Amino acid sequence: MFEENSMAIDELEKKLRPPEVQLAPYPSKVITLASGELMVVRECRREDTPALLGTVYPLLGVAKDYYDVVAARMYNEILSWYRYRIANMFTLVGTINGEIAGIVTSRHVDPKLGMSLHTLTIKRGLRVGAQLFAAKMEHHIEYLKEEEVWIVAESPIGFKRWMIEYELEDRSSGFPAVRHELGGVPTYALTRRLWDAVKAIKCTGTRPVSPELLKTADRLVMPNEYVQLPGWKRNG
Amino acid sequence: MIDFSVYGDQALHINAFRCEKCGTLYYPAPMVCRKCDSIRDPTTNKGWEESPLEGPCTLLTWTRVWNLPEGFNKKFLMFGMVEFENGLRASGRIEVEGDPEIGMRLTAKAVEADERPGPPVKVFVFS
Amino acid sequence: MAPRIGIVGAGHCRFGNSSEYDLVDVIAYSANAAFRDAGGLNLRKEVDQVFVANMAGGLFNRETAVASALVSRMDMEPVPAELIENGPASGASAVKMGYMAIASGLADVVLVAAGEVMRSVTGWEATDIVATMSHKEAEYNMGLTLPGFAGMFTRLYMKKYGLTERDLALVAVKDHDNGAKNIYAHVQIPVTIDAIADGPNASVVNNYVAEPLRMYSTCPITDGSAAVILVNMDSPKAKLFKKKPIRIAGIASATDTHCVHNRRDPLVLDAVRLSAEKAYKMAGVGPKDISFAELHDAFVIFELLISEEVGFFERGKSFLAVRNHETDINGRLPINTSGGLKAKGHPVGATGVSQIFELVRQLRGEAEEGRQVKDPKYGMAVNFGGFGNNVVTTILAKE
Repeated sequence: MFEENSMAIDELEKKLRPPEVQLAPYPSKVITLASGELMVVRECRREDTPALLGTVYPLLGVAKDYYDVVAARMYNEILSWYRYRIANMFTLVGTINGEIAGIVTSRHVDPKLGMSLHTLTIKRGLRVGAQLFAAKMEHHIEYLKEEEVWIVAESPIGFKRWMIEYELEDRSSGFPAVRHELGGVPTYALTRRLWDAVKAIKCTGTRPVSPELLKTADRLVMPNEYVQLPGWKRNG
Repeated sequence: MIDFSVYGDQALHINAFRCEKCGTLYYPAPMVCRKCDSIRDPTTNKGWEESPLEGPCTLLTWTRVWNLPEGFNKKFLMFGMVEFENGLRASGRIEVEGDPEIGMRLTAKAVEADERPGPPVKVFVFS
Repeated sequence: MAPRIGIVGAGHCRFGNSSEYDLVDVIAYSANAAFRDAGGLNLRKEVDQVFVANMAGGLFNRETAVASALVSRMDMEPVPAELIENGPASGASAVKMGYMAIASGLADVVLVAAGEVMRSVTGWEATDIVATMSHKEAEYNMGLTLPGFAGMFTRLYMKKYGLTERDLALVAVKDHDNGAKNIYAHVQIPVTIDAIADGPNASVVNNYVAEPLRMYSTCPITDGSAAVILVNMDSPKAKLFKKKPIRIAGIASATDTHCVHNRRDPLVLDAVRLSAEKAYKMAGVGPKDISFAELHDAFVIFELLISEEVGFFERGKSFLAVRNHETDINGRLPINTSGGLKAKGHPVGATGVSQIFELVRQLRGEAEEGRQVKDPKYGMAVNFGGFGNNVVTTILAKE
């Protein structure tokens, strides 16, 4: 059972909570994946936390494809966001019939800068990760109106793919003044200009999402099985 | 005696080969002339005349490739096949604004490319 | 008179990502499966000759002389063994070598095992390695890759015959429908025409790879293996195998110019036509006798082109047959019942044997429910090496 923190918000707690900005909401969209399945992409709310954490948790033990470190860091991000210990973070989820297919996390640093955190693909084989990464960039540039987003990745191959496909700007010469929050490493940037050049081929989705479809994504469902965990089942 | 001219500025060319016995033109160079069975010895090229393949050509077909091989860290590259006025055909990279069109007139030149490990190679650019 | 030669054992692994396994183990896996299918691993001692097909083990896996390695891995010394490399036609070429070994009298039982592990390197490296089959100075050095050639080819075909991107997507839908029912296929997810062509998100979901070819017009990068056991049906050894042989009625190959730009006609695949003509002649059949076919669709355009060159459809008309569902599993002439290279996957050295494995399964009536061809008599496989410059056609017959 997951309970709201019942502690009174006293002076000390106020000091520990980062000052928050009210972020512009991400307008939900639906993408028809190659299989014909409809993936609703929406922003997460506090009440989604149990399902998000429960979805990420089993992957903590999967070393292949860097799932373990991405899952561990994303678990930290989502829990910290829930516990008011990380500023201006947003989480987008992709769901198919309510079941979580992928999750992305990111942070609004200031009006000009976004910090891309993580992309976790649960359902494989349908480019869910690529679609959600693009949705994350869409939110940073189009809705949060930032000028650029700093990006790194745990997976060298995944990162190289973004570097090439988005033509990311290399900011590593600015290190250490320019460093990504994740690991403090030299970073690459997606600027508004670079985003405008690729958004037509990278970012898609239909808006608005019909109320019936949105309802299916209302209560997030954790996957019962994972391709990444052969033989594992959530419910026995 | 040393041939010092090899240290000068070398113009870059990709060559067509002509069999001197029967005059048939080739690109790339064969080892045997299909018309008169003349052999080409690549160590001397004796009996074969080389000449630069360049200049005006007509675009036969083209593509924009988004998944490039290792070393080509670009979003995409355009490639095409062209036909020269002498009837020879070649493949190479296209550098034009926007989408090329089949049948358009282009100019071929050779440039150096070094995306892959090892010494630079000569490539056709059609623009 | 040449003996009758048939296939008495066939094995295959699940295509996909086998990069954590050793190449020779991956090939041996299917060889073991072929022996089990044939009646048991004790039959290894009956083998007179081994051919192994692999295109680029030296580049993908830093493993060469793979035939010698396989023999030892399978504990089959001192059987003669050779590696056959013919680009992506290595598999069918190895079967052709097996056929020739038996036809010549040098062998009565031949194991042909094929495999490739491509995902041991990145996608960019794999694309580069596969591109090495093109002309080094005139094509490879330009940065051209196989998808690049296929894109140029497709553009020309579209201009001449009116093929649309949607037609290519229709072929992919059919292939994925078949692949979804094939337990060995790499991609077992069916796709919809709305999702990859008609719908509002299709242009992003089905992104361009080499215009006008899109992702769902090109095969994935795949690991896998397949194996078959050939026997001289007229020899006493044939009686050792439990299953009725599927006869190799015709097998032939032909070559064309190395440089794609030097083809006689940029839209004509002479090597396909010539190899098919020879195979038909050897088998004593024609296009109308073929019940189903596996056509080398590394790019969906090839399925269409090859079907025309082998005489199934008039030149420029194959995509009309696809629109009419003639090549669906329940159609007049099912093509790529396995899912093709598009959905089944394309471990380059293994594909030729994998195609023949599918022919065997269909002719035996062993395909999965929903993708079994009704009462097939002759199956054809066309395996491309290079960009159509080295092609092997095989025709199998149910006796």
